Amino acid sequence: MNAIRFQRVSKIYRRSHLGRTTETAGLLDLDLDIPRGEVFGLLGLNGSGKTTAIKLLMGLHLPTKGEVETLGRRAPDVAVLARIGYAPEAAYLNKTLTGRENLRLFAALSGIPSAERERRVSEMLEKVGLGKAMDMRLSEYSKGMLQRASLAQALVHGPELVILDEPVTGLDPLAIKEVRVLILWLKSKGKTVLFSSHDISEVERVCDRIGILSGGRLVKVMKQDEWRGKADALEAAFTAAVVRTDGVGPIRME
Amino acid sequence: MQTISAVFAYTLKEHVRHKAWLSSALFGLVLLGGSLIVSALGQDERARLMLDLGLAAIEVIALVGIVFLTVNLILQEVESRAIFLILTHPVRRADYLLGRFLGTVAAVALGMAGMALMHAAFLSLYGWWEPGRYAAALGCMLGKTAVMGALSLLLSIALTSEAAAMAFAVFLWTLGHFSSEMRFLADRSGSAFLKTAIVAFSHAAPDFARFNYRDFWHQTAPGGDWLAWTAVYALAYTAACLTLAVQLFEQKEF
Repeated sequence: MNAIRFQRVSKIYRRSHLGRTTETAGLLDLDLDIPRGEVFGLLGLNGSGKTTAIKLLMGLHLPTKGEVETLGRRAPDVAVLARIGYAPEAAYLNKTLTGRENLRLFAALSGIPSAERERRVSEMLEKVGLGKAMDMRLSEYSKGMLQRASLAQALVHGPELVILDEPVTGLDPLAIKEVRVLILWLKSKGKTVLFSSHDISEVERVCDRIGILSGGRLVKVMKQDEWRGKADALEAAFTAAVVRTDGVGPIRME
Repeated sequence: MQTISAVFAYTLKEHVRHKAWLSSALFGLVLLGGSLIVSALGQDERARLMLDLGLAAIEVIALVGIVFLTVNLILQEVESRAIFLILTHPVRRADYLLGRFLGTVAAVALGMAGMALMHAAFLSLYGWWEPGRYAAALGCMLGKTAVMGALSLLLSIALTSEAAAMAFAVFLWTLGHFSSEMRFLADRSGSAFLKTAIVAFSHAAPDFARFNYRDFWHQTAPGGDWLAWTAVYALAYTAACLTLAVQLFEQKEF
């Protein structure tokens, strides 16, 4: 059974300014099934459609064409969000709250009963290493601490499907390793994980399959056995598959 | 209900931590300045002037506060992207909007209560004490504040610009005090189109003159029926604005 299904999904962004409408393709005819229990990595350059795909799954965007399904329900479906955990590329948290208040809010929004909430909140903050900082305001947190608080809100309700948008971007090597361990732990618990990244070396270490997006199109899907034990196989496939669409040329120092 | 109360609680906390209580401090200064000005008058005149001045100041400070807070309420969450994490939890957009709105009205109401306490203390020093009528006047002001808050929230979602929403809110607030004058103007108009347009607009714009309990201050107090109809009008107008705001908000992509 699939945890995620994209069926010929396109997302076109339309912007009107002074009577002129411009259209930009976020995603084009995406067909992709991700079975339950799989760790799937979305690879692509900036503007390739990774975040658009994730926003469609989370109901923040609506598809222009096609259908998106999460855990067997057609998106957007508010009820199914209780079974999904999502951490965006940056910790978009309300900085006026403390770590504990912030997680208490998300636990309440996820439907955790009040009798259980306090225990789950404290446990999760301990698990992500914020036990000593839980009563500090988020405005005093470092970037790494905010990232942990963001992961905590994604996991506090024990989701079946975890979606991480560029979870290692901007983290130090130790924190990157911890995120890797977390993804492998989620896999061992039978959870489905979808994560997007620029970092090929991270993706190849933890993923069962990867999809390469370029210019809004899924140009390649690879299984682990296609890169495991083959040096630079994934990087070579990635370089061959992607095309820059952002108008930026290569760096040439001659 | 759990969702609305969770959003309500964090909104209220956010406003309190953003120093919404400063409105009470500002009001304290108005009271001190006012008492210096009226100190030259006789005892009866002092109490009357302090009553009018204080209630007018509470109303203006509350209205400025509610317009500023509600106009920024959603737009700032969109700008900081904190809304991403809220809406990717099982939260209906209507519940989110209602929780944010009620939390903001509660924050302004707390500020009003602080100002009213100071004002009542001042008035009792001047020998004036009519708690029933004073509470009725405050209730009417709270009704006006709630209507203005719902209207500003609707404008901010419809216009997606803080400056434009604030300008329209101030325009409608001013016009809302002249509903009967607008209808009088429509009666005098020779053009059928203009007449229809003015009458339609005077009915669509909030009738703020309806909330002016202070107008009856030196006459016979209006009865319970008047107060009940004012409450019904405030609730109906607020509900209509919030319903429209939800309709628009449901269409938004983030």
